Amino acid sequence: MYWITVVAHLTYPIYCLTSYKPPNTETNPTLEDPTPDYMNLLGMIFSMCGLMLKLKWCAWIAVYCSFISFANSRSSEDTKQMMSSFMLSISAVVMSYLQNPQPMSPPW
Amino acid sequence: MCVGFQELRFTLLVYTINIRVSLGRYNDDFDDGEDIAEFDDNDFAEFEDVSEDPAVDVEKEPPPRAAPSSTPIEDEEDEATVENEDGQDEFEDADAQDQDMYSKYDNEEFEGHEKTNPSFKDTLIYREVPAHLQNSWESYYMEILMVTGLLAYIMNYIIGKNKNSRLAQAWFNSHRELLESNFALVGDDGTSKEATSTGKLNQENEHIYNLWCSGRVCCEGMLIQLKFLKRQDLLNVLARMMRPVCDQVQVKVTLNDEDMDTFVFAVGSRKAMARLQKEMQDLSEFCGDKPKSGAKYGIPESLSILSEMGEVTDGVMDSKMVHYLTSHADKIESIHFSDQFSGPKVMQEEGQPLKLPETKKTLLFTFNVPGMGNTSPKDMDSLLPLMNMVIYSIDKLKKLRLNREGKQKADRNRARVEENFLKQTHAQRQEAAQTRREEKKRAEKERIMNEEDPDRQRRLEEAAQRREQKKLEKKQMKMKQIKVKAM
Repeated sequence: MYWITVVAHLTYPIYCLTSYKPPNTETNPTLEDPTPDYMNLLGMIFSMCGLMLKLKWCAWIAVYCSFISFANSRSSEDTKQMMSSFMLSISAVVMSYLQNPQPMSPPW
Repeated sequence: MCVGFQELRFTLLVYTINIRVSLGRYNDDFDDGEDIAEFDDNDFAEFEDVSEDPAVDVEKEPPPRAAPSSTPIEDEEDEATVENEDGQDEFEDADAQDQDMYSKYDNEEFEGHEKTNPSFKDTLIYREVPAHLQNSWESYYMEILMVTGLLAYIMNYIIGKNKNSRLAQAWFNSHRELLESNFALVGDDGTSKEATSTGKLNQENEHIYNLWCSGRVCCEGMLIQLKFLKRQDLLNVLARMMRPVCDQVQVKVTLNDEDMDTFVFAVGSRKAMARLQKEMQDLSEFCGDKPKSGAKYGIPESLSILSEMGEVTDGVMDSKMVHYLTSHADKIESIHFSDQFSGPKVMQEEGQPLKLPETKKTLLFTFNVPGMGNTSPKDMDSLLPLMNMVIYSIDKLKKLRLNREGKQKADRNRARVEENFLKQTHAQRQEAAQTRREEKKRAEKERIMNEEDPDRQRRLEEAAQRREQKKLEKKQMKMKQIKVKAM
């Protein structure tokens, strides 16, 4: 008689599902791209300069800054802030042309 | 007597002349053929300059009248010649006076009149019409340029966004099968409480796409980040024309504590290795030596190795790994295996952090997408073998175990790093402990003060005093022991 021992190991893969946690950017600020925040701030500064000092080129740069900030923004960011930045820069352009309808002169 | 009558006659003459003149004027108006009814003395009184002219005439006339009237009087008195002359003189004087008056009048009226007399020989100066009043759009060329620039930016945004989206989708389509066969959960955005498989990429930005995979033996989870170029930003596109950069795919695998032994290892391009050794906390602490060339281990020279110890390199660089690295050397930016991974070095303003940063057993892969920016969706298929390498590495590292010597060396290294850290932060930790002790004392004192019952207050004060005395005694004992030891 031959004893045949069949040992069968049925290994069930044991795994656990872990939910996704977005990386905490407060502890690691290098992960965050600061471009949209800087552009937002620049846009606001240029808009105020354009409105207060009646400089048309400032107002136009503010419009560009708000566009760049929008292009680089994260999808989780608040749209209200984007919209307010847009509106401020466009109002700066409109107000500077209403006050002085002359066309913009180039610096050269 | 005769003189008095003459004077009376003269005044009467003047009055009659006045009346006749005014009537004559009146008659002139009528001669124009207008209705009598329309005219009224009062209506014309203010607008007519008749009053001035008769006044002038009267002024003119009295001297000449005076002169001729005086002449008959003088003739009668036989003093004609002298008085005629006088009268003529007067007349002349009157004339001269008139002329003077006119010249004076003119001069006063028109100052600088002679000087600014425009002659028809001078040319007329045409002033330019202000630009905004002209009926031409050409003067607004700067504004047109600005608007054109904005339109170009918007067009580039739409095109860039679409291209990035297509590349991401192409990558996911080529890798979906492999991922779904290896992981139970593919795609989770973290919004729902339970881990549910969404089966699609999570868009973080217009140029960054995330994919979380979990549910595999020996790994907690895998985060894949597709870091594309900022094709949606025109400024970035222009900057890339100066300095070409390529798209990257970053894979971060987090392992369970029991799935990896204690070692730190990295392999990648020379530039990347030099940069990582400076930036990464664990590589700078555990892999102090310069990166070694990969030629020793059969991989191309363009790749270099950073390792904690030689045994680790020998264990990781088996034939299959060497084959992967050799065939895809151009796509590999860096491969980093570490049990002490805590990310890049954090520069704190207040000084060094008081606690060691939290570490996790991590495998970090960074791959370059071929094309150097001009990537097409087809290039994404060439990254599939690299994903196979990732899966192979996970399985391999679970089995890789250091021998006893290696383990001891690794433990010593970790103890050394911890000691160094504690030494550096010793002073700060002491300060923190001191402030904590002072705060405790203050809190206790406040509690005693706030206690209303005087007996209880007394008892608490006594207990605090006893505690302080005990502490002092302990310190004194310690000092004595140190002195004895020193002796």
